[in-house]
Amino acid sequence: MNPRILQLLVFNVKTGRREFHITKCLSRFFEKDPKGGYPKVYDRLEKSDTSTLGKIRTGYQQIVEEFSLLKDEIKELSFMDPTIGLKEYAVDVKWKFHDNPKALKEWVITCDSDYNAGFSTVSLELSPGGKGLFTGYLDTKLPKDGKLKRTGYCNMKSLPPRKAFQREEPFDWGMYTHIVLKVRGDGRSYMLGITTKVSYDLMWHDVYMFPMYTRGGPYWQYVRIPFSKFFMSSKGRIQDKQASIPLHEVRTFGITIADAIPGSYRLEIDYIGLQYDPSHEEEFAYESYRVDPFILV
Amino acid sequence: MYHPVACNSSQHITKQHSMFLLQILKVAIKTKSIANMSSIIRRPTSILQVCSVIDQNFIRKDIRTMSPIIVHNFIHTTVPSFKKDEKDESETDNETKKGESKKNNETQKGAKSQSALVMYMFENVKKKEKETYLETIRMYISRDIYRRGHVEFIYSAMKYMEEFGVHRDLEAYKKLIDVLPKGKFIPTNVFQVEFLHYPKQQQCAVDLLEQMEDNSVIPDREMETMLINIFGKSAIPLRKYWRMMYWMPRFKNLNPYKFSEEIFSNAIELAKQAIKKISEVDPEREIIVYETEKVPDSVDKTWIVSSISPTQKELLKKHPVNTAVYVEGPFKVWMRNVTVDYFILRADPVPKTDKPISEYDADDVTNIKIPFWEEPKVPGFLSSVHEQEDGTILAVCATGTSSKDSLLSWIRCLQDENPILSEIPVIFTLKVKTSDVNAIESGEKVQGRLEDSKNPTDKKTEL
Repeated sequence: MNPRILQLLVFNVKTGRREFHITKCLSRFFEKDPKGGYPKVYDRLEKSDTSTLGKIRTGYQQIVEEFSLLKDEIKELSFMDPTIGLKEYAVDVKWKFHDNPKALKEWVITCDSDYNAGFSTVSLELSPGGKGLFTGYLDTKLPKDGKLKRTGYCNMKSLPPRKAFQREEPFDWGMYTHIVLKVRGDGRSYMLGITTKVSYDLMWHDVYMFPMYTRGGPYWQYVRIPFSKFFMSSKGRIQDKQASIPLHEVRTFGITIADAIPGSYRLEIDYIGLQYDPSHEEEFAYESYRVDPFILV
Repeated sequence: MYHPVACNSSQHITKQHSMFLLQILKVAIKTKSIANMSSIIRRPTSILQVCSVIDQNFIRKDIRTMSPIIVHNFIHTTVPSFKKDEKDESETDNETKKGESKKNNETQKGAKSQSALVMYMFENVKKKEKETYLETIRMYISRDIYRRGHVEFIYSAMKYMEEFGVHRDLEAYKKLIDVLPKGKFIPTNVFQVEFLHYPKQQQCAVDLLEQMEDNSVIPDREMETMLINIFGKSAIPLRKYWRMMYWMPRFKNLNPYKFSEEIFSNAIELAKQAIKKISEVDPEREIIVYETEKVPDSVDKTWIVSSISPTQKELLKKHPVNTAVYVEGPFKVWMRNVTVDYFILRADPVPKTDKPISEYDADDVTNIKIPFWEEPKVPGFLSSVHEQEDGTILAVCATGTSSKDSLLSWIRCLQDENPILSEIPVIFTLKVKTSDVNAIESGEKVQGRLEDSKNPTDKKTEL
């Protein structure tokens, strides 16, 4: 080794200099925020009244809202009736779009053009039949910024569940084995993604995924996927070390289209539910035995 | 070792990073301080954060020792790239620095002519097919025993794969990997392994494997042997290969709607598969191909792929004569990367007669039925799969021209087996101007179609 380097290694103990690393992903796995550096973009910005009276009014409205949530919470707590006798094979519907415009507000829709990273479009609306319609145009054309290698994604994600006073409380889906969707697609394949409540920045971008292949055509289709088949990915890449979903703390559920085929897409969703199947014994579909050190990263 | 999140295979050394290091190297050559600068090239940054003992400031110091002008120079110059778009930019950049040193100039010229030659090799091929592609690679290998600029060659060859139609061909990828020399890049000690032996070459191989993954080409054992011969067992491309071999065969047969390559060149076959796919809910359905030439008074001479099942025929028979049925469309169904337009024959939805569950009172004991002496009741009318919430689907079809006339012929063809159709009024509710729309379009045409469908002109005519 070069004596100069050795000297530097041994005697100079100083902090690092970020500015010399052009790309972030090089060295550090430190994440600044859960959005991975993406800015916050609002598609439904509500008009805010900035006068003192207006602020008081909105604040009061919030208090009313939060207390009504608290009331529900206390009611729920005092009843103390956890689901014990879970009906086998019955579908417990979690999200349903049935002529209900309020159901659309439970979802956040994003696509690459929101962050100036592409030209796709996305919308979530009620179809003429009163179902949820996730539709738009997927564009894989690259914006000429010289950084992006590939683009083209559209996504709908449920809002994280919360209790009163902005406390987040994840779903407990521990007793279910399958996710069931009633959809009418267009023949394209979509990706289902489940995120869970995590504490460390390392796991912020972990998503459990599984593809959903649609048939297309005029008939509705039932999709039933066991949770054990979902594989773990981080920032869109499958990881070497796999683990099953911690179902007792599910935060969000999302549907993504990013199949690199430019064109329009259309997915009608009737409901998204959960199911308990006693005959399903598989815990995790992928190998999870121990391997020698340094084989997996 | 590296952290799973931080070091995904392809992100391991990003292109920018390697470019950046190259740039530093260039500057180092200029200032004749290679001995100092070589430390920067092979230092993995993971070490910097893991061991607090190691100085993290020395890169700065290295640079301070150089003259300030050059530091400025290397921070602000655009990095040269293998990307086609950025080529011009880097070239102009090179030109600005021309006056700096003669030696540097000559090497740059050499590199320029090299990449230009590679471009020329692929651009000037008359027949763009697999054989000529492989021949070009052979030409490159046989041209020079040193194989100068092989990484650049592989990158530009990767770009031309789709043009030559070999982007789904394993053999072509293998031939490309074979360009890399055997033995030279194999690390001989642990430090070389840890400090990324020949990072540019490794990244090149990773990018090649990534392109294979994107085009869903699964590598084979021979490729593993080739990679081991080139990079040794502990290199990054091998990791990428092993990952691919773990996951790709696993998901190979996951898609239930997979089609062979041949159907995409044949319009009727494609339409048949599409109709088969969308009507698979009823396994009894028959898929018939009609020729409109046989239909009297037809204008369009084309084909119609139609699907109707015995249940649907039965439903059609029961349909009241005084209420209309609708021909609707065109709707889109995707077949891998191609869309097929289809039309449906639809009747209005049947109102549900079932008693809602909420009206049953399970606790009511006044009227308990004793089933022992009763005849088992068969439900009078089981609703079929065709009776959807928003309408009863009576038949599905795709035609060669998607024109109104061809749909008229379709109804005429259906009348042979379902004479009731001649009595029921049929209403055509077509979304798009059907005169100049083809039923089957390639992926490129889709954009044009979309613009059409934004301003639909509804046409309603009664038969």
